[in-house]
Parts: sequence; C-alpha cells; structure tokens
Amino acid sequence: MTRQKRSHHRLKRAVAPYLYLSPSLLIIGLLMLLPMVTVIGYSFQNSAVLRRDPSFAGLKHYQAIFADPVFWSSLWHTLYFTCMSVVFHMTIGMVFALMLNSDRINPTLRNILRVLYILPWLFTAVIIAVIWRLLLEPNGVVNSVLMQMGIIGSKVEWFSSPETALHAVTFANIWAGYPLFMVSLLAGLQGIPKDFYEAADIDGAKAYQKLIFITIPQLMPIIISISLLDFIWTMQVFPLIWITTGGGPIYSTEVLSTYTYKLAFSSYNLSQASASAVVILLISLGLTLFYIRYQKAR
Amino acid sequence: MSEVILEGICKTYGNNFRAIDQLNLSVEDGEFLILVGPSGCGKSTALRMIAGLEDITSGSLRIGGVDVVDMPPKDRDIAMVFQSYALYPHMTVFENIAFSMRLAGKPKAERKKRVDEIAKTLQLTSLLDSKPANLSGGQRQRVAMGRAMVREPAAFLMDEPLSNLDAKLRVQMRAEITSLQKQLGVTTIYVTHDQIEAMTMGDRVAVLKGGVLQQVDTPKRLYESPVNAFVAGFIGSPSMNLFEATLTGDELMSGTFAIRLQDAAFVRRPGLRSYAGRKVVFGIRPEDLYDSSLESGRKYQTIPAKVTSIEELGSEQIVHLNIDAVRVDSGDPDAVDDFGLASNAVARFEPVSAVHSGSDIRLAVDDAKFHFFDPETHLAI
Repeated sequence: MTRQKRSHHRLKRAVAPYLYLSPSLLIIGLLMLLPMVTVIGYSFQNSAVLRRDPSFAGLKHYQAIFADPVFWSSLWHTLYFTCMSVVFHMTIGMVFALMLNSDRINPTLRNILRVLYILPWLFTAVIIAVIWRLLLEPNGVVNSVLMQMGIIGSKVEWFSSPETALHAVTFANIWAGYPLFMVSLLAGLQGIPKDFYEAADIDGAKAYQKLIFITIPQLMPIIISISLLDFIWTMQVFPLIWITTGGGPIYSTEVLSTYTYKLAFSSYNLSQASASAVVILLISLGLTLFYIRYQKAR
Repeated sequence: MSEVILEGICKTYGNNFRAIDQLNLSVEDGEFLILVGPSGCGKSTALRMIAGLEDITSGSLRIGGVDVVDMPPKDRDIAMVFQSYALYPHMTVFENIAFSMRLAGKPKAERKKRVDEIAKTLQLTSLLDSKPANLSGGQRQRVAMGRAMVREPAAFLMDEPLSNLDAKLRVQMRAEITSLQKQLGVTTIYVTHDQIEAMTMGDRVAVLKGGVLQQVDTPKRLYESPVNAFVAGFIGSPSMNLFEATLTGDELMSGTFAIRLQDAAFVRRPGLRSYAGRKVVFGIRPEDLYDSSLESGRKYQTIPAKVTSIEELGSEQIVHLNIDAVRVDSGDPDAVDDFGLASNAVARFEPVSAVHSGSDIRLAVDDAKFHFFDPETHLAI
C-alpha cells in the first residue's frame, strides 16, 4: 500500500464514527438544543415571540417568577409529587418484584400476577387520567367502597377538594409508574446468584437479614439509577395533572409544568414562561449530571 | 465427635428422576473424604443434601451423632465452600468472613479477634479491607475458606472449590487445603470431578456414578483394586485401557494376538478360571504398557500396535495406539477424551522412546498388572 493510500485509509477510519453519529446529532441539535437555546434566549427578552423586536429584559422575568407565591407553591407541589411518587414506586415495585421472584408462589399464578402488575404500564397518561377521574369522582367506585367499609362517612371530592387533590394525583401517578421499578428490580433479583442466599442460609440468616444484607445491597445500583431517572421524569409530568385537575383547585395541584404551561398559553406571558422552563431545565440538568456522575463512578 | 453418617439416602425429583439412590457413607471424625464422579453423577446433590440445601427424599443423615434430616442448614453445624465462593461483592474481606458472627449477634471485639486469627492463618491480614473484586482467584478461595472456618463447624463441605482456578494455582491450593484440613482436623467432605484432586487430597475417596455409590476406599486401593470397570476407567489419567478378549486355557485371545497369563493371575483371582472359553474384559493402565525396544520393556510379552499420535510431555510421552482388540467403554464420559478417533489404547512411554506417529511397533505388556472384569456386569473378577 502506498503512503498516500495509507493516509487516505486512516482518514476514512477516523471520520467514519462521526459520519455514523451525524444523523442523530443533527436531529438532537434541531429538536432539542435549538429549542432549548431559544427558550433560554426568550427568558431574557421582553414580550418574547409576541414582538418582532423584543428588548433585553435581563433577569426581570426570573425576579418576577421568584416573587410569585404560586411559583413557590408549584415548586413545593412538584417536590412533594415527585418525592412521594419515587419513594412509593420503589417500595411497591420492590414488594411486587420480590413476590414475583419468590419460588414459593405457584408458577402459573406468578405468570398471571406478572401480567396484572404490569398493566398500568400499558396505559398512556391520558387513559390513566381518565380511569382515575372515573374511579375518584364523587359517585365513583372508590367512594362507594370506602363508604361501605366505613372508612369515610360522606362522599369525598378527591380531585376537587384542595385538601385531597394533590394526594389524589400523586396516588394516580404512583399507580401508573411502579411497573418500571418492578420490572427493573425483578431483572436485578434474577441476576443475584442463588449461592449468596444459600451461603446466608448456612450462616443462619433470617429472611429479613437476607433482604438487608444481600438483596438490597445487590440491587442498589439499579435502585439508584432508576430512582434518579424516575425523579427526572416525574418532575416533568404534565398530562396526568392537566387532565385530572388542571393544576387546581386554587393552585393546590399546580406543579412547575402546569405553572409554565399556564404562563405561556393562558396568560401569553411567554418570557416568564421561558424563565420558569429554564428553572425546570436547571433542576433536571442538576439531577442528570448527578445521574451521569453516578453511572461513571460505577 | 463429628462424624457424618449417611444411611440409605435417596433423592428423587418431581419428574421421578432419582439423583441419588441408597447412598450409604460413613465419614469419620476428622477425615477428609472426597466425593468424585463424572458430571451429573449426583455428587453435588449429595453434598447439598448434607448441607440442608436440598431435601432428602428418604434415608437418615447424622452429623456428630445428631439426626439432621429435618434441620435447617444453619442448625446442622456445617460450613460450606461453594464453587463460585459466594463471596458478597459489596462486603469487604473482613465483613465476608465475619458475616455469620454478625448474624449471630457476636460483639464487634469478638468478631475482630476471631477474624484476625483466621486471616493470620490464611495470610489474608493485609487484604481484610479489600473487596472480593480486587482479589485474585486464590485469595478469593482463601476468603471462602475463612468464611467457613469462622463458624468452627463440625464439618466442612466443599463443592468443587478449585474448579475456577487456573491449573498452576489449583496445584498450589490443593496442597494448601490439604494441609489446612490436617491442621484443623475438621471432618471434610469435598466434591470434585477432577480425579487428580480426588487422588491427591483425600484420606478416602467415594466414587459415584448415576447417583449410585461405586466404591469407597483409600486412593491407593481405589487405583490398584477397582471394584468395577467404571472405577477402573475413572480413576487414573489417562484412563485404564479396557478390552474384550476370550480366555482360552491360560491365554487371552484377541484378534491377531494372544497373551499368556501367569499362574499368579489365576491364584490372585480364583474366579477367573470360570471364564475359560468365555469372553472377559481385561484392563491395563497406560503406565503398564512399554516400548519393547527399550530396556524397560524387554522382559514382557509383546503385541502388535500402530502408533497413531504422540503427546510429548517432556518427562514422558503419551502414546496413542491402535491394537487389534475391541475397546470396552467403562461408562465414564470423560474417558472418551483420552482416545482419538483412530486409536483405542493409550500408553505412557519413557521420554527416550523413539516411536513416531504412524509406525508399527511391538507393545510390551506387563500382564501381571492386568485387571479383569465380567463382560456383562463390569464387576471386577
């Protein structure tokens, strides 16, 4: 091979990976980076989108949303909704995964339960929202069952009462989201060598000790990874809340996503909406960086 | 006293597959017993039943005089070393070794004292803070031993603990485990499929095939007096050569050759006379076959053979041969590996032998070392 041919071959080898990557990079650039940068730009402009020559606003819109009590309550609701969802997704997912992994349950029953437990994952957010609206309406099944059991004395307006609305949407989201944990943890459980449990049996470990000393430490990488992803995704949940409560009543279920949406498409204050979106972006970015660092550390 | 006694132990699975059939075994206090056999012979199942990790379908099992059939593993006073070592990857060496003491609620100071003692014995002191992932295969193996030792059990159960190590380390660890067992004097039952481990480590060796115990004896007696063709073929590497022949008078006739048997052969095995005029299986170990052109082979009778291939090992040559005789399968699946497609016999020749592949030679046979088996039952005559 001549020197010229060799250098041409080397160049081709060096460029090839970037050529393969270029379509996806182009799509990400157009559909993600460009809108992101544009929104960041809007957050520093007055009357963004609405005017052809918007003026520079500095941090005015950030100051405005930070001074808005609804923003702070939205942030609090977002944190409550997210934290409760992640904790219960993990707990329920773990309990169901342990049940499905147990060889004490009849294999046929186990297969049926596997399908049943994964059902919520098959529904889109809109269907979940409709199902729970029907179940939790004042004349719905939930009220009827709870009243018959004597747990509540009168019909509760789950989504319409400021006291219960946030808990109700959180509950619906918990129901919708635990299968991700269940499936991931089940895969993790099936990967734990049986020898570990047999060695622990010989050493005299009780069931709860095996859970604490073997199962949970072995699942920890999955628990942390999925929790972080769930945190990032749940923080941005919009359709479930929008369809069930629309952020109400009286802002009691307002979260950052609905708050931003309303600023943009109800008040047409696109600059402030952009500032709010940037705040969500920064929180998500922080969590994502944490996730990436954790993955690298592994 | 920590003897382990198995009486009429059976294990039948749900699909009626009988993994262990009427296993009777008595392991003395402080004895090192090896359970050996080819894959699927039930040796690991037997060990797991002793450990309590598998239910016993029927039979009785006593450890230290106590009937343990219905006892959970933790109450059987045993410790087990697994093939995979089963070290917890998230725990340090110290935590792994101290795990059973932690479960038992032993104070921290006591745990530290005991683990330090064991670490010193196993030369693990400098590794106590390391995680298993950072240890070599041999070090992991020692940690697994330490985890078993910390419990001060009545019996150690070891399930192929050296099979994950490379050949060189295996030789070293073989010696380490043997000397440790002697030093501790704890009754040990050791499962392996490697007959070299079986021969070099155990006080006695129990050979299993298809869930049935074939023979329990010292390694030397097992080698010299196998009770059947399976044990004869399984013990020894390369395997014993087994052929079919007809006993005519005092001669073994096979194909184009005949070997005259000395009177001593009939004196040692009075039953052999009854096979006169009938077929018999005779076995000869590779080390009892010689190159007739060398001094060592001159005193023996010879038979014609063709050399098919040679493995030069430096200290000896493993010579694959074809002789005019029908080879008999001992029933040991591993033995098949010793013979190539074109050969039906294996011999160990001295390194000075000048035979070469493809040559026709006279093979010297030490007929005093013959083993005889019934052609139907494969039992030793």
